[in-house]
Amino acid sequence: MTPHQRCDKPIFLLSCLLLATIGPASAQKVPVMEKTLSNGLRLLLVERHDEPTIAGGWVAHVGSSNEKPGMTGIAHLFEHMMFKGTRTIGTSDYEKDQAILKQQEEVRDEMRSEECQMRKRLRRGEMDDLLKPEDWTPRYRELQARFKQLVEDERKFIVKNEFDRLLSGAGASGMNAFTSEDMTAYFETVPSNKLELWAWMESERIFHPVFREFYSERDVVFEERRMRTDSTPLGKFQEQFNAMFWESAPYSWPTVGWPSDIAAISKAQADEFYATFYAPPNITLILVGDFKPEAAEAMVRKYFERIPRGSKTAPDVKTLEPKQMAEKRMHAEADTNPQLQILWHTVPFGHKDSYALEILGELLSNRTGRLYKKLVLGSGVATDVGAGQNSQKWEGSFSASGEVREGHKPEEVEQGIYNCLETLKLEPVPASELQKVKNNFAAAEYRRLSANSPILMHLIENDGLGDWREINEAGPKFQAVTAAEVARVAGKYLTPENRTVAVYTRKAGTAPKTAAKE
Amino acid sequence: MKKIQTTACALTLLLCSAGFSLKTTAQDNGIADRPEKLSFPPLNYEPPAQARFRVTLPTGPIAYVLPDRELPLVNIAIYVKTGEYLDPAGQEGLADLTGYLLTHSGTKSKSADALEERLAFLAAHLSSAVSGSQGSVTLNLLSKDVDEGLGILREVLTAPRFQADKIELRKQQLLQDMQQRNDDSSGIEGREAGFLAYGEHFWENRQPTAASIQSITPADLAAFHQAWFYPSNLIVAVNGDFDRAEMIGKLNALFSGWPFAGKPPVAVPTNTVFAAPGVYLVNKPEVNQGRVSMLLPGVRRDNPDYFAVAVMNDILGGGFNSRIVNRVRGEEGLAYDAHSTFAGGTYYPLTFSVGFQSKSRTVGYAASLAMEEIRRIAAEPVSDQELNTSKHGFIDRFPRAFATKGQTAAIFAQDEFTGRYATHPDYWKNYRSRLAAVTGADVQRVARKYLTLDKLVILAVGNKEEMLLGQPGHPVKLQELTGGKFTELPLRDPLTMRPLPLSPAK
Repeated sequence: MTPHQRCDKPIFLLSCLLLATIGPASAQKVPVMEKTLSNGLRLLLVERHDEPTIAGGWVAHVGSSNEKPGMTGIAHLFEHMMFKGTRTIGTSDYEKDQAILKQQEEVRDEMRSEECQMRKRLRRGEMDDLLKPEDWTPRYRELQARFKQLVEDERKFIVKNEFDRLLSGAGASGMNAFTSEDMTAYFETVPSNKLELWAWMESERIFHPVFREFYSERDVVFEERRMRTDSTPLGKFQEQFNAMFWESAPYSWPTVGWPSDIAAISKAQADEFYATFYAPPNITLILVGDFKPEAAEAMVRKYFERIPRGSKTAPDVKTLEPKQMAEKRMHAEADTNPQLQILWHTVPFGHKDSYALEILGELLSNRTGRLYKKLVLGSGVATDVGAGQNSQKWEGSFSASGEVREGHKPEEVEQGIYNCLETLKLEPVPASELQKVKNNFAAAEYRRLSANSPILMHLIENDGLGDWREINEAGPKFQAVTAAEVARVAGKYLTPENRTVAVYTRKAGTAPKTAAKE
Repeated sequence: MKKIQTTACALTLLLCSAGFSLKTTAQDNGIADRPEKLSFPPLNYEPPAQARFRVTLPTGPIAYVLPDRELPLVNIAIYVKTGEYLDPAGQEGLADLTGYLLTHSGTKSKSADALEERLAFLAAHLSSAVSGSQGSVTLNLLSKDVDEGLGILREVLTAPRFQADKIELRKQQLLQDMQQRNDDSSGIEGREAGFLAYGEHFWENRQPTAASIQSITPADLAAFHQAWFYPSNLIVAVNGDFDRAEMIGKLNALFSGWPFAGKPPVAVPTNTVFAAPGVYLVNKPEVNQGRVSMLLPGVRRDNPDYFAVAVMNDILGGGFNSRIVNRVRGEEGLAYDAHSTFAGGTYYPLTFSVGFQSKSRTVGYAASLAMEEIRRIAAEPVSDQELNTSKHGFIDRFPRAFATKGQTAAIFAQDEFTGRYATHPDYWKNYRSRLAAVTGADVQRVARKYLTLDKLVILAVGNKEEMLLGQPGHPVKLQELTGGKFTELPLRDPLTMRPLPLSPAK
């Protein structure tokens, strides 16, 4: 049985590996056709006839880095809302649906002023938790009941998950979306004879989204946060470590949002967000697969050029991360084996130093990398290690991490990592070691081209970060990195004052029994 | 604040006016007002015929050979009839350790580090594992290096070194992983759900312990390897940049003159035991979300009801537009992930299961909603729309199973491995017609037959006090949801798997 496994709408955090690996000048280029529609929407086409499918997606150039305090998490919540339907999809009576949505907002306005009062009580210590039903004011409970009734009323007109049903029932698979700090992307694979359905559905939801079930979806996102962050051993600590690392760059808050903000985002804010960040010039459509480019372009123009350009232009992010002046440290006691992570501020996507930093990351990583050889196989202070450059859209970071071997201390692993880095700063990497890493960048370029869907995802990531052309242009730049450049970037960025360190030790009382010593 | 409100109004206007313009221009640019009005060219697709790619190598293995010249890569996967079910009592973890170390502990001619270094220079990916009922060795590399790669593969398969320092390192890594067994509630849930579904003594649930890992010697690893890694016990799948006849010759050479004989394969044991109905709870006080598995006895994949079961489950909780997702997630916002699965077992029946994660206090309520949906699909016929959406979805997605040569080779090799190709050679050819034949009556019949709530087992892992407290407005008690009794399960010592004392009630 072919499984129809659909995970959900995850938040992907960009892995540096996704960016790390493109090959030499001689390697295969991805033949991409780029078009710009009359409303400013961009279109990328990759013709490929290996399988009778088309992987279709689009990336909106907006992520949690475009948010502000008080509404963190809105980019991601918005991604969820894009599955709720349109004027014609998801409702049996648009006019009645709209009337109820309006009434719902009126009740919500009253609830918001009550929430404002409850926040005051919380700050005075008169209640513990805004989400605890027993602590709610009688007025708030009454409003909650009224709102619940309006949700029941709306349900009569809701056609549940119709957007998904129309696509899935036509053979679409892998339908999903993700939000990161830098981008929001939506994608699925359709049988190659259903390109027009894809164009109909996707243009319709960009053109006429209706944010039904907004407040229950907010609860869903809260459960997503509990699942990924609150209820995992390290989730909350990593969130705070990240917040500690970024001082001013808009990466310091979690993409899923702070708990207080998720519970406070209003539909009006979502509407404003849509008008600003989902205007056609801020979106790139991408099709990879079994189509004729001329026919596909005509189809896309027919459906997507009906969307007006809109009057707003997405604002640039202006805040730059200041130079870090002193080392920062966090020591966390958690339900985990002792381990540590070190982050340094580096450079964003496309920066001329990013290629040497990616190479440096690979030199340190894997079972034949420097850290494994020194700390796992050599001194034996660690059981696992890792490192890598993460080039994001506005800023970048370099990470090194290790799990401490039983009987050793986190400080030994930390010092071991610094020793490896010092060697790299002082002694040029031998030619064969550098070539090994470059060979892997080149081979990875081929491996990524095995099917429509990974090619689509690679285009989404690169376009979302700033320029899809990097998928063909980064390869030669990796191959050109010299040993001297590796030493230079290590010396320039991986300095003591530029680092932030998280050390985790096992929380007292959760240590496993010592049967190992039996 | 003012600015936001102004924009919201402007947006509403935009939507309305855009709506009118869509209606008026619908005829002009020929855009239908509903997607159902679109018509599509036919898509003719037939799955590749397995027999065309099947080769019996004179040296023993069955191979599937699929040339594909698009990229300069070759992918070789070797499946081994072995598994963790063959772990001797007291040496739980032997199969897993052998599987990992086969490619990570050197060979006769190369130390482990020299081997890793050479593979890394070639940008070749070599890995191996032994899981529940299968072993595998895979190699992916550039086609220019295929001869060197096959040479390495031959050494790994016939003469692994099992270098002592690599054994010790891997054991230490496993022991440290073991220490984290109770750290994440999802790990606890998976382990305890396995115990409830198949019985604590079923082979799948025999957990490695610190003592069992430490008891494993280099001789044990070598003996396990030589017992099962021999040519006629292997199935091979190869795809990529090569000439078919040349590759067959190379594979045949790879398996010729094997230095040891091995043991005859042993059937996978099937003696599962399903737990007594009831609610089972593991207390994990530090989390704010409960993880829930709701279990019922399941089927094997060769069950004649299997296609009806697949459609029924898809409608109930398989897809994003399924009933459980619509109810628990969409309407009530009680979970991010809510789903049901009803996979058919290859060797023994798996289970039907509903899984979700909800904030501690709504765990009982969400479980009661899932139970309502289970009752409803058994009590009432599904709608034609649900039935058709599900069936068309399965049928139209079908070509994706064979989207790449690598996937195709893997499917064929798996069917050979599990014996389905021998018993049902036309399985994929008939896949769509068997799905198309499923009726609404079939769906209801299998729901009644298999979704028998009197057998229901519910497992909840999370904050006990809060989960049992429930949520105001929803008078549901988690501990009373099933007819069976309520049991608090102890956490287990992560290194011995012995039950730890229950924490005293507050």
